[in-house]
Amino acid sequence: MTLLRVPPPLPRVVDLQRTYDAIVVGSGAAGGMAAHVLTSHGLDVLLLEAGKQVDTTAELKSLEWPYDHPRRGDMPYTSHALRGAEYALRKPPYAPKDSPWKTVQSYVQGWSGSDYSKNILVDEKEHPYTGTNYAWVRARVLGGKTNIWGRLALRLSDYDFKGKSHDGWGEDWPISYADIEPYYDKVDLYLGISGHPEGLAHLPDSKFQRATRLNAAEVMLRQSMAKSGKVLTPYRAGVTTDGLKHNKFRSRCFGRGACNRRAGGCDIHAAFDSPTGLIYPALETGHLIVRTGSIAREITVDPATGKARGVAFVDAATGTTMEARARVVVVGASTLESARLLLNSKSAAHPNGIGNSSGHVGHNFCEHVMGPGVDGFVKDLVGKPRTLDDGRPGGFYVPRFRNLKDKQKDYLRGYGFEGSAGTGMFPNASRAPGFGAAYKKSVREYEGATIGMGGFGEVLSRYENAVSIDPEVKDRWGIPVLRFDFKFGENEKKMAADMANTAKEIFEEAGIEVVDHDRHILTEGWSIHELGTARMGNDPKTSVLTQHQQSHDVKNLFVVDGSSHVSASCQNPTWTIMALAWRSCDYLADELRKGNL
Amino acid sequence: MTVTRRDALKLAAVAAATPLLPRGVAEAAETAAAAAGRFFSAPEMALLDELVELIIPADAHSGGARAAGVAAYIDGRLAQYDPAIPILKADRERWKAGLATVDALARETSGKTFRESSTAEQTALLERIAKPLTEAEIPTEEPEERRQPAAEKPETVGQRFFVELKSWTARGYYTSKVGIHDEMEYKGNRAILEFSGTDVATLPPVRPPQD
Repeated sequence: MTLLRVPPPLPRVVDLQRTYDAIVVGSGAAGGMAAHVLTSHGLDVLLLEAGKQVDTTAELKSLEWPYDHPRRGDMPYTSHALRGAEYALRKPPYAPKDSPWKTVQSYVQGWSGSDYSKNILVDEKEHPYTGTNYAWVRARVLGGKTNIWGRLALRLSDYDFKGKSHDGWGEDWPISYADIEPYYDKVDLYLGISGHPEGLAHLPDSKFQRATRLNAAEVMLRQSMAKSGKVLTPYRAGVTTDGLKHNKFRSRCFGRGACNRRAGGCDIHAAFDSPTGLIYPALETGHLIVRTGSIAREITVDPATGKARGVAFVDAATGTTMEARARVVVVGASTLESARLLLNSKSAAHPNGIGNSSGHVGHNFCEHVMGPGVDGFVKDLVGKPRTLDDGRPGGFYVPRFRNLKDKQKDYLRGYGFEGSAGTGMFPNASRAPGFGAAYKKSVREYEGATIGMGGFGEVLSRYENAVSIDPEVKDRWGIPVLRFDFKFGENEKKMAADMANTAKEIFEEAGIEVVDHDRHILTEGWSIHELGTARMGNDPKTSVLTQHQQSHDVKNLFVVDGSSHVSASCQNPTWTIMALAWRSCDYLADELRKGNL
Repeated sequence: MTVTRRDALKLAAVAAATPLLPRGVAEAAETAAAAAGRFFSAPEMALLDELVELIIPADAHSGGARAAGVAAYIDGRLAQYDPAIPILKADRERWKAGLATVDALARETSGKTFRESSTAEQTALLERIAKPLTEAEIPTEEPEERRQPAAEKPETVGQRFFVELKSWTARGYYTSKVGIHDEMEYKGNRAILEFSGTDVATLPPVRPPQD
């Protein structure tokens, strides 16, 4: 099939007089999936995206060599990427309006290759937030963070969905694995996923396309870990390695090297992104209208019924507020932005914010704790001839192995490791000491022998971890911003300590010489896996949404993103966000047809 | 006006120590060598080029930082820095001061500038400033100004400069054609039919004790 390299044009004028079947707010994994599923049911959908449509095929230039770029891939030097110390030592807002920097962006822009993602991530000066320290990474463009995500695509299991039954903490999800499994399958087959089946109950296998391969150091580590029953599996990537016959916007992965360039992004769209994976195909149904530059301010309410009437949004081009109307409003603006939108939608019918009679919107905020990890050398590989180690979407994943059949003394739940070994485009040249010929040789000979991994651990869902609306501060558009009240607790700290110790043990058991052992926890938010601020549940008093992500209070309001998750699990959430959104939108379409909404 | 190499080196010391050059001196410095940078004076460029090549030298395997144009990369980067932004202005000043310190330390030990010194003297000086900083000497992570602790023995200034010099040298070198292709023999960033490495299906399955 001939691949389309140019994104389809979006309408210049959008009809706001008509009442759409559904308005979807947000165009990332959740909003994109909602648009795809609802249009596939023949519903007329208006998708509102706050940012622009960016031609990521042109923007990401993943084949470009650093020496062909005037700043070796760095964004203009008038822009600043927030550093770890700034997040840790200062308080938000991190980018005051009078900052001397032309733009300030989140920490992911501090890695190499920032010029390619500078138009995808927000300018922190325009989008402040307040409260406790939090490294909040936001992408306001069509497709949101899926344009630059890390691609690790994992399923949750009943160890996650039924966590409370297992260990007593928090709440069980109102669904079990059997409910969502068919939708994981649909997501796998529609979007493509690469991986190797391991037959684990706690990390169910997907409908995998061709797996990536392990290099010598990774094979060595896998075999060493197997002795204690721990699994190291090739990175389960939301990447089509065999191609997708039904999608003309996406190429199969052909193993080029810039996958390691952060903040990521795949300009051949082998890695899933919402525009090419979901939105552009949905446009072809003729049922989808996309309006970019539309910053949702409030969900409007029909005063007679208390139901959602539509969405009031700020038009970025003119700064004026407009309203679009629909029979159903579907929110997928990201865990934190969706909570902000609900809380900002106050009316006589919903004085605490729409859908918030429980008082739980913004609460039970959870995510993943990260920071601890190890780096080391495999001595046998030092000085060996160069191999191609990084022409692939990721290295390896070590699924959770704690608190399954065992019970850890001092903490609940578990963590997994992400890692990789071998040569990237650039060596880690700061590690070798000294200078001169010996230094140069050391960098050259050790680079192929490097291996490293870092943990992602479940942060327990706790009511007191929350976001609320700041009473004073507003963003560039005059919309009240979020105030964070979020801190890691004792469970996270103890888990992180075990993560650090165990990572080192695993490496030492494999005979890897550990050269960096990181024990410290990164600032809250670092994982970019924020979840839980409008959780599902069977009890309207303690949850915001039903098992179909439908508001308990407002029947024609759905929130289909990570805010609905009842617990964080330790698996990366994107694939679950999409599977849940698919399931809920099937239900929504059915209910709408039956006249129940 | 004819300027000998030795005059140029003297001027380098002046230039490095004095950010605001008298007009005549600045012109003389520019005439001194064809290779004035966009930010650094010609003598500074010559010193920087010497330093980066000492950090990553040419060897039998590949070219060094000189062949990779690392001095021009660092100079070009600093030239793009907007001095209206305080952190960037401070970065620029630190680089000028760092180069001046290298010469000052050289003169203090051997009575000669760095470039006039013998290879053994140059190496000995770099070894001095390549010593790791003690905890107290590492610049604080205080983000506002990337503040340096009140200083400052020249030795410590030199050590701090070396950290930055080495890091930028490595960045310039390993992102260059010489660094990526000749030195590291990087094999990626090209289309491949099959991933390289071992297919996990050929390895024995793992049996977790838990399941």
